[in-house]
Order: sequence, then C-alpha cells, then structure tokens
Amino acid sequence: MIPVRCISCGKVISAFFDEYKKRVEDGENPKEVLDDLGINKYCCRRMLITHVEAW
Amino acid sequence: MMVLEGLEVKGEEGSNMEIDIKEKNDNELTCIVEDVDVSFINAIRRICTVEVSTMAIDTVSIFKNDSTLFDEVLAHRLGLVPLKTDLEAFVLPSECDCEDECPSCSVSLVLKEKGPRVVYSGDLVSAHEAVTPVYDSIPLLKLKEGEEVELEAIAKLGTGLEHAKWQPTTACAYKYYPLITIDDSCEECMKCVNECPRNVLEYDESENKIIIADIENCSACKTCMNNCEQSAINVDAVENKFIFKIETDGSLSPEEVLKNACDILNNKSEKIVAFCKEGAKK
Ligand code: SF4
Ligand code: SF4
Ligand SMILES: [Zn+2]
Ligand SMILES: [Zn+2]
Repeated sequence: MIPVRCISCGKVISAFFDEYKKRVEDGENPKEVLDDLGINKYCCRRMLITHVEAW
Repeated sequence: MMVLEGLEVKGEEGSNMEIDIKEKNDNELTCIVEDVDVSFINAIRRICTVEVSTMAIDTVSIFKNDSTLFDEVLAHRLGLVPLKTDLEAFVLPSECDCEDECPSCSVSLVLKEKGPRVVYSGDLVSAHEAVTPVYDSIPLLKLKEGEEVELEAIAKLGTGLEHAKWQPTTACAYKYYPLITIDDSCEECMKCVNECPRNVLEYDESENKIIIADIENCSACKTCMNNCEQSAINVDAVENKFIFKIETDGSLSPEEVLKNACDILNNKSEKIVAFCKEGAKK
C-alpha cells in the first residue's frame, strides 16, 4: 500500500494515488498529471512515481 | 505593541514589519515579510510546526482485522490521516478536567467494513460532525473476499512536539529575499543565463544586457556566480526581508496556523512582561 504521507515533507500524497494511477494507465503523461494534482515538490513526486503496489 | 503597555520602550515602538501575500490557495500561503529579523521569523516558523495543535487519531482499539496489514501498521496509517480541526471546540487532553477521555478532549471514529474492497479514510464514521478526514480518498487497507475489519479510533488534540502526526504544517519555511547584481564587466557571454537551474536570468536583446526576470524564484545556489569568468554577477540577500511559505495538511488553514502561532508567542511574552512587572514591584 502506498504510504499515507510523503516520507520527507509529510504531504498527504496517498489521497491522490488512485487518480494518478488511473490517469497514467489511461495514457496521460505522469508529469502533467502530477502538475495538475498540485504535487509540486520533488520529494512528493517521487512517492507516486516510484511506488509499486505489491499487494 | 500591546504587551509592552505601561513599560518604557527605548527607540522605536514596535517594528515596521510589512507583509505582502504573493500566492494563496486552500492549503498554501506564500508571503513576503519585510523589516523583521531572523530570530523573529524563525520563532514563528518553529511555533507553526511544533506548537500549534491539531486533531489526530491517537489510540485505536482493533476488534477485528483480517487484512494482511498488521494491527500496528493499520493504527499508524490511521494516525497519519489529517482531520479537520476546530480549535475552539476542543481542549488538549493535558488541560482537560476528565480522567481519561471525554467529549471535550476526544472524538471517536468507527470503522466497520467487509471485503472484497479497498477501505478508504472516507469510510471512517465520526461521532462529531466537524471532525472528519480532510481527504476521503486515502487508502487505509485492502480486504479480500470474506475478510472484515472493525475498530474504534480515538482522536485527540496534540502538538508536533510529541509526534509529527500533530504537526499542522507540512512545508513551513522561509528563505532570504535574493539580491542579484550584475556590474559593468559583464560581457553578455550568456553562461549565467544558460546555467541557472531556475531560469531567473534572461538576455534582453534590445538593451544588450542580462536582466533579472524572476528574482523570487532564485534559490541563491550561486551557480551563476561560479560560472561567470568575469566575476561580474553577484548573489546576495536583502537584509531583513524573507519569502515565507506555509503549507498545511488541511487540518487548519495557513492563516489559522499563523494566527495561533502569534497567540502562542504573545502568551509567552506576556508571561515575561508580567514577571518583569512583579519583579519591579518587590
Ligand atoms: S556569466 Fe558573467 S559575463 Fe557572462 S553574461 Fe553572466 S554575468 Fe555576464
Ligand atoms: S543563484 Fe542560482 S537560482 Fe539564483 S540566479 Fe544564480 S543560478 Fe539562478
Ligand atoms: Zn514531500
Ligand atoms: Zn477530557
């Protein structure tokens, strides 16, 4: 499961994960999705980009 | 300044502090603060992060948890869910008259779900209409066919001094207002323009000189200085001027956090003033 918050700054990134995942799977550019969701800091962006949903 | 009423103040009374809002939305506020010193703005920053209280889940009674998540992990995830906070409605447990828990210091949130499904923060049922998760879309756990979860979580006020889940702010920081000067020895070689990672500098063709296009975006990294062979460009800071950014987790608005931080600082200084007056009388 994705961590609830960014492990560096504490922003609640998990709340946007479902939308991020769906939009990227639908072919949108991850950069644009992140910009659109207002996830601007690179600590938070790597949380979504690098997450692997294992179970 | 109100706290100094009745005391003799040498020099200028108060300060000429000025605040300009640069950017603002729900959970973020960026402002430019002028005519204050580092110690003051840093005091405000520290109080914002660790002394302003918010609501967060503190204890969890798990009656049933069939999911693959350990109880401890689930309780930890619940603690990190930000809750909308009304600071007027609750008191800190340490300041409450009750023994253990009561409606003026704690709120109960119940979770009871059956699989197969993903359980979200929005599934928490709060006993208090104002204390609800800021986001409904935080995945808490996954349940497979036939699995169940049943728990009661108790949310309380607390401060970041005790645990980071009670910090109302995520990013809360200031930087010096940058000051870039380019002198006559500049040869318009464009190195600084090309090397700046934040596109602060631009070349103005009509005037044939380098101009500073976006000073507030400068991070004072000095890459431009290090790449200038003429030593023509210099990066410094404006004295007593800061860019202050405060981002909250949504439990409180940035304005509420700032206002409460100032109240806390005010209370502290009032105590010192009262102490000084007492001392003078004796
Ligand atoms: S690197 Fe130095 S000399 Fe070159 S354009 Fe910038 S300031 Fe001028
Ligand atoms: S200090 Fe860094 S960010 Fe600022 S203008 Fe120079 S290179 Fe750009
Ligand atoms: Zn972050
Ligand atoms: Zn109580």
